Amino acid sequence: MADDRNEALDRFIDTLLEGGRPAPDGVVGDEAPMARLAAELAAASDPTRGVPDPAFVEQLRLRMRDADAGISSVQEWAPPAGTSFRRIRLTRRDLLRVGLGAAGGLAAGASMSSILRAAGPAPLQTNGRPLGVRDGEWVAVATLDELPEGAAVRFTTIAFGGFIVNDAGTIRALSSVCTHMGCTLYYRSEWQDLRCPCHNASFNLAGELANGRASWSEETGYAGDIRAYPIDLPPLVRPDIKVVGQDVLVWTAKV
Amino acid sequence: MARADRPRDPRPRFEAIYDQHVLAIHRFVYARVGNRPDAEDLTGQVFMRAVEQLDVDRPAPQISAWLYRVAQNAVADYWRAFYRLPQVDVNKVAGSWEPVTPQASRHADAEAVRAETAVRGLLKQLPKQYARVLELRFLHRLSVAETAARLGISKGNAKVLQYRALRKAALMVETDG
Repeated sequence: MADDRNEALDRFIDTLLEGGRPAPDGVVGDEAPMARLAAELAAASDPTRGVPDPAFVEQLRLRMRDADAGISSVQEWAPPAGTSFRRIRLTRRDLLRVGLGAAGGLAAGASMSSILRAAGPAPLQTNGRPLGVRDGEWVAVATLDELPEGAAVRFTTIAFGGFIVNDAGTIRALSSVCTHMGCTLYYRSEWQDLRCPCHNASFNLAGELANGRASWSEETGYAGDIRAYPIDLPPLVRPDIKVVGQDVLVWTAKV
Repeated sequence: MARADRPRDPRPRFEAIYDQHVLAIHRFVYARVGNRPDAEDLTGQVFMRAVEQLDVDRPAPQISAWLYRVAQNAVADYWRAFYRLPQVDVNKVAGSWEPVTPQASRHADAEAVRAETAVRGLLKQLPKQYARVLELRFLHRLSVAETAARLGISKGNAKVLQYRALRKAALMVETDG
């Protein structure tokens, strides 16, 4: 009497009642309104009545400030002549401060370093997605001795932030912006991945989603995650880099 | 250029709007998707959109109405995209400055109370066993096994009962409009 379709709905409900993000797979037709009702019933029984997690509220606030600063920098940004680049190594705390103060705040805690400029044509963005950096330049953001295999060095340029990683001998740059909702990824050396603090997506050092449904299984799991990340996210943006001597340079907008 | 030197402080007016509404919008969305990860995503969408599009100089009631409308649309899109449900709410005008709807303007706490009352009312209309299984599973959040034990039936039968109860209840909700 139980028709075979209700297994997907059962799974949906179990995930829902565990507080997880239920996957829509297999919930179809007549069962869709049932799923929605189940969601509303589950919400009605929540003892906190849907009060948001304070950490989420603060995280979203920072994301909005970032976005706001991003919008105004695109529309209004015109640096004074003669500004020089600063090479910046940021801690997590610094990043938060950057989020607060946007471009102007970058100077805080930064150490000066020479800028390496290299002549040459302007190769644009990889991944087939141009960053819109036409009038750009190469900027040194890391040195090879900081990058043994599996290591990652955080960098920030005037246009974007990311990591220079050594993926089994290959040096590449990866954007630190999660391709889901734009949260800032952090590096976990023990897993050699870039992890999203918002919904726990993990990207490997090639920039691909590492704990998605394609690669995750019940047996092997991924880095202790109890379930696969439910959305197939596109890979991280990979800015162009080149190595000159000991320096790793990234292509970015020109001051 | 003078403009470049302008400090990029967070816009105080916008932050005030955020502080004032984030709790209520999250609750509004959560009541409709029933899980935190999705509720946080949708709440994020609402406010990220507000960063780009919300005119913070509008009067407060219009700002509130705008946020609720965007939230309502986000929820409708969520269910439609995931489950291909027909759009129930026909007055979908994304981001417009229409007058606030009574339902949307209600305070978040009232919203929660309304939802709870609606659930109780719904359960009352269902056959007893149906109401009981939904109550145990959803309101008390018992597992299928625990629910089965309470009802004195097998786990398999508890699943079937839950399925039928949900189907019946969903039909009632739909016909009620």
